Amino acid sequence: MSELNSALEHPVYNYKVVRQFAVMTVVWGIVGMLVGVLIAAQLAWPAMNFDLPWLHFGRLRPLHTNAVIFAFGGSALFATSYYIVQRTCQVRLISDTLAAFTFWGWQLVIVAAAITLPLGMTSSKEYAELEWPIDILITVVWVVYAIVFFGTITQRKTSHIYVANWFLGAYIIAVAVLHIVNSMVVPVDMTKSYSVYAGTVDAMVQWWYGHNAVGFFLTAGFLGMMYYFVPKQAGRPVYSYRLSIVHFWALVAVYIWAGPHHLHYTALPDWAQSLGMVMSIILLAPSWGGMINGMMTLSGAWDKLRTDPILRFLVVSLSFYGMSTFEGPMMSIRTVNALSHYTDWTIGHVHSGALGWVAMISIGAIYHLIPILFGKERMYSTSLINTHFWMSTIGTVLYIVSMWVNGILQGLMWRAYNQDGTLTYSFVETVAASHPGYVVRLIGGGIFFSGMLIMAYNVYMTSRQDVESLTVPATASAA
Amino acid sequence: MIQHGLGLLVRPHTQWHTIAALPESRLQTLLLYPCVLALLPAVAWYYGTTEIGWTVGEHGEPIRLTHESGRQICILFYFGMLACVAVIGYFIHWMAATYGAQSTVTRGIVIAGLTATPLFIAGLAGFQPILWLDMLIGVVAVSWAVYLLYRGIPIVMHIPEERGFLFSSAVLAIAMVILICLMVGSVILWDFGAAPAFTD
Repeated sequence: MSELNSALEHPVYNYKVVRQFAVMTVVWGIVGMLVGVLIAAQLAWPAMNFDLPWLHFGRLRPLHTNAVIFAFGGSALFATSYYIVQRTCQVRLISDTLAAFTFWGWQLVIVAAAITLPLGMTSSKEYAELEWPIDILITVVWVVYAIVFFGTITQRKTSHIYVANWFLGAYIIAVAVLHIVNSMVVPVDMTKSYSVYAGTVDAMVQWWYGHNAVGFFLTAGFLGMMYYFVPKQAGRPVYSYRLSIVHFWALVAVYIWAGPHHLHYTALPDWAQSLGMVMSIILLAPSWGGMINGMMTLSGAWDKLRTDPILRFLVVSLSFYGMSTFEGPMMSIRTVNALSHYTDWTIGHVHSGALGWVAMISIGAIYHLIPILFGKERMYSTSLINTHFWMSTIGTVLYIVSMWVNGILQGLMWRAYNQDGTLTYSFVETVAASHPGYVVRLIGGGIFFSGMLIMAYNVYMTSRQDVESLTVPATASAA
Repeated sequence: MIQHGLGLLVRPHTQWHTIAALPESRLQTLLLYPCVLALLPAVAWYYGTTEIGWTVGEHGEPIRLTHESGRQICILFYFGMLACVAVIGYFIHWMAATYGAQSTVTRGIVIAGLTATPLFIAGLAGFQPILWLDMLIGVVAVSWAVYLLYRGIPIVMHIPEERGFLFSSAVLAIAMVILICLMVGSVILWDFGAAPAFTD
């Protein structure tokens, strides 16, 4: 293995850790989405849990979210952040050992999650279900990640810190703070603990964490990715550098306040709910700053679209980003939330961000990286990338539309009442009415998942050393 | 006017070229096109929701809206559709310069209205409100409209296809945002006086 890979080593940069994370992005993407497809099937046909406790929806759902957010999304962020920080600072990562530690440590976290969650070990906090020993491991890995990232920035050979690194830096710091504060627990034994916060405070801390996991992990981190790969793939400078800095500070300042919109009409004080709603609506402006900047950067590269399906991934990911960051503030309005909350509309909204934005931009970035990391001129098959693009787009659209229909249907049915004040529908009637939507959602998710299999094949064929035609001449790869 | 709509459904490429060649004065009459076609879904859904009704789940009586409530909602629905076409059309015009095309507000609205032809016609499904069937028809209609958009924009705007692809994608993003406005607007209106009233 080491002899095989020695030919791939870059004279200046540490590409090994980037390559490891890039490959694992594809692997965890497939695993996480497969679990997603399975639990989508369970919602349509409950017998799909085969009466096995570890295949139960309640245990696999956290496994799905952890796998796609932290394993797939996390690996994509590690890969791209290590690549971007080296390229834009023009210096190697400060320590290969520490970088390797973050890789193996992060994989260990994921494997631990994949074992403990199906066994039913959970802290019960959404997106932070892992129990305290794993939380401590995450903290250690994350601090080392911060040391490697910021250490590399301090050693930079350019005077300037490129804006992508600002976003990535904010994501690393904010996630550390969020994770540590939200995961404060009193352990009972190795596999059980209780939050140090109680009641409403616990709920508020949880959603302060939960929403900023979206804001900093899934938005700031991926905006960092966007600010490097969009200009790079388009071959043009960022449309407005000033806008990127302005919306960076606005995003960082506003996102942190938006959490209470997850707790509308609960025991949380009204003023906190209203504050969360107002901040969520304001958030539209900085979110769209990023979309406009990305779109305008891409708009000048229209002549490349015919030959470059990677650009299409980036264009469509920005469209979905724009749509879901518009939908989010709208759903945080209390009147709307009264209908949409706890319905499938929320799940559709999350997936327009998760599939449309996060997954699509990661896929685009990975397609950009893989040939570089394996010393090839391009991916094995451009037409397969194109196929993958259409599968991803169609899958996402089917998913979102079915959840919109289901969400509004459920919201209306839950609030319908008869003239004598009794509810018109029982809960199970709303479940039965949702069945067609669940089937369409399964089909959409299945198409998206199959696209990932095509990607895996394409990546494998690109990485093969014996496919000579793609190899870059030695002189070019050293440049 | 109607022949443009029908033409787009059977031979989109040729028809877009014909529309592209129309003088500005002829385009202005085409502004009436969405106003007429939007009547189809509004009337169909008024009839379907007040006379036929729909059922939820396995059993149960069909649910209907009262005539008064149905009228109110379908009138709002009609103007909602027109507002969407107008706003999307305005944005098409507004973005045209970015993609190197000549445009007017009229042109933008005409493109938006014509592109929505499959959606207006699919609105006739409202005569028989069966959720899963209408959803299927809706998906087909949306795909058809998106296809018309991607075919039409480069032709009517006289720009190369690659640039048209980006332009169409931007229009699609705007359309999705408008769709969310429509959903959110409906939910807010339900809370402020236009809540559906059902027959008992």
